[in-house]
Amino acid sequence: MVKKVIAREKLPELWAHLSAEGLLILPIQDGPVVLFQPWYAGADVRLDAVNSAVSPKDIFLPREETYLHYRCSGQQLELSAVKSEEPVTAFGLHPCDMKALEMLDRVFMDQDPPDSLYQKRRERTTLVALSCDKPDPFCFCNDFAVDPTDAPGADVMACLSGNSLRLEARTDQGKAMLERAGGLLGDDSGESVELKEVVTADFGLKLEGLPEDLKNRFDDPAWDELYKSCLGCGVCTYVCPTCYCFDVEDYGHAAEGERFRCWDSCMYGHFTKMAGGHNPRPERKERVRQRFMHKLQYYPETYGEIACVGCGRCLRSCPVNLDIVRVIKALGGEKVEQR
Amino acid sequence: MSSANPLMPQMATIIDITVETPDIKTLRVVGKDGLPFDFMPGQCAMLSVPPVGEAIFSITSSPTCRECLEFSIKDVGSVSGALHALAPGQQIGIRGPYGNGFPVEEIKGKNLLFIGGGIGLAPLRSLIGYGFANREEYGHIDIVYGARSPADMIRKSEVKETWGGQSDTSVYLTVDAEFPDWNGHVGFVPSYVTELAFTPEKRVAITCGPPIMIKFVLQALEKLQFSPEQVITTLEMKMKCGVGKCGRCNLGSVYVCKDGPVFSLAQLNALPAEY
Repeated sequence: MVKKVIAREKLPELWAHLSAEGLLILPIQDGPVVLFQPWYAGADVRLDAVNSAVSPKDIFLPREETYLHYRCSGQQLELSAVKSEEPVTAFGLHPCDMKALEMLDRVFMDQDPPDSLYQKRRERTTLVALSCDKPDPFCFCNDFAVDPTDAPGADVMACLSGNSLRLEARTDQGKAMLERAGGLLGDDSGESVELKEVVTADFGLKLEGLPEDLKNRFDDPAWDELYKSCLGCGVCTYVCPTCYCFDVEDYGHAAEGERFRCWDSCMYGHFTKMAGGHNPRPERKERVRQRFMHKLQYYPETYGEIACVGCGRCLRSCPVNLDIVRVIKALGGEKVEQR
Repeated sequence: MSSANPLMPQMATIIDITVETPDIKTLRVVGKDGLPFDFMPGQCAMLSVPPVGEAIFSITSSPTCRECLEFSIKDVGSVSGALHALAPGQQIGIRGPYGNGFPVEEIKGKNLLFIGGGIGLAPLRSLIGYGFANREEYGHIDIVYGARSPADMIRKSEVKETWGGQSDTSVYLTVDAEFPDWNGHVGFVPSYVTELAFTPEKRVAITCGPPIMIKFVLQALEKLQFSPEQVITTLEMKMKCGVGKCGRCNLGSVYVCKDGPVFSLAQLNALPAEY
């Protein structure tokens, strides 16, 4: 197993090296928030920050992604695929976001047919996960199958330790990455890091049996109250690492243009509105229910686990606090104190 | 190890356009070398008209027709409107086939009762054609078809003459109200079904039409003692990807584009009533 270490003040050199190999994406301070974005010289890289404001899912499912060009001439139409081949290093994903990636992989890679746009981005990306020891009051990954200090699926597992960043290769791809950066990295002593147990917020959730129980709660009166505060802004779906709904649109004029896909949100009225006007989810009630039932009942029915990783982004972002914790509790997923 | 992009359409050409009604046209479409792909009755395809976009349509021709794919399309939205504006010879994008299709094997040996309303005949026609091409596999075929007016009926001569002339087949037509040029049955499809008093013995009912018609047809069939397993319908929902990922047609744990659009009433009863 290849284990390397680098002093934190040397990290800009590592970033420069990795970005010369391809696209390097990592958490960077951007005004008041931290966002995963391409590295640039002088970037304020925040490996010490809690979760980025928006999940790093856009490394694999970009906010918008052009995949074909069209050209029309008279009655002739020409369609050509747009490809992007650049290798990517995604650096600093926390275990919660890594777990969410596993959930997206099931949808985009395991289900037939696989989504080749997503699959190719996964294949050409080296994933460097970063253990997390400073959860904030909104983090509740302890409620899910997430170990904040470790991330299965990473090519390299990193952890901040004093003034160093320690890096451990987990795959051949990760090992190759560390070997290429050889001159910048020292050999790690081999001593395993003393990782303390990371305790995240306890909101008193009772998740066991919840998906099964929700089968009978499609018409639960709780939905009649819950949705009322929803503004339909969709921010929950954009920041969420396990939301993946998308739209497909054309952009251009009659002679030439492109087709792209982009993030969309089940919280919007047009999402299910059909040509002709019929809309199976016409009101916020149906849309709020759809989003949470998908996370808590539909996804688990197919894949065996709740589509939430406790990253806390919806708790931090929702302007009316209609976050998943509140919804779970309203639907019976709350521990009852034994007196 | 990566696969082809399932969202990437192939080229197709519209070779012929039939005006069916004031707002419905039937497009005949071929790929580069004949049929763009093989399919089963009840499956759908995404048609592209850049820069307007893509939309999903049921394939109305039978897979036994090897010359082309046919789509009967009502002008209700942006892509359907753009398709209506095209002339033969125009190239478009196509991808598919999508969906599960009708259970052609499971319904073998059964009497088939087709109940269609308006443009809802389009997906049924694929299976009706398949049934006639494999006539010995199926029992008696009844076709009940209704529209608002005689002018709103699609494939009129085919329905009356070709289908009406098939062996062991009965065709029943109805329109919603009296019209000067109409001397057939007058009344809504569901009440005509009740009036015709079909018996559920060895019979499968397959229905498609406007949601309100389907709702009352299901009630009528229930009154006629059809079990939920004997009733099959095909759902319509907004779709963008066609491959069970974009999220629009998600109903419970199924995606209509992939796990449907064909469901038995028994299957639908187990899903959230959100369609």
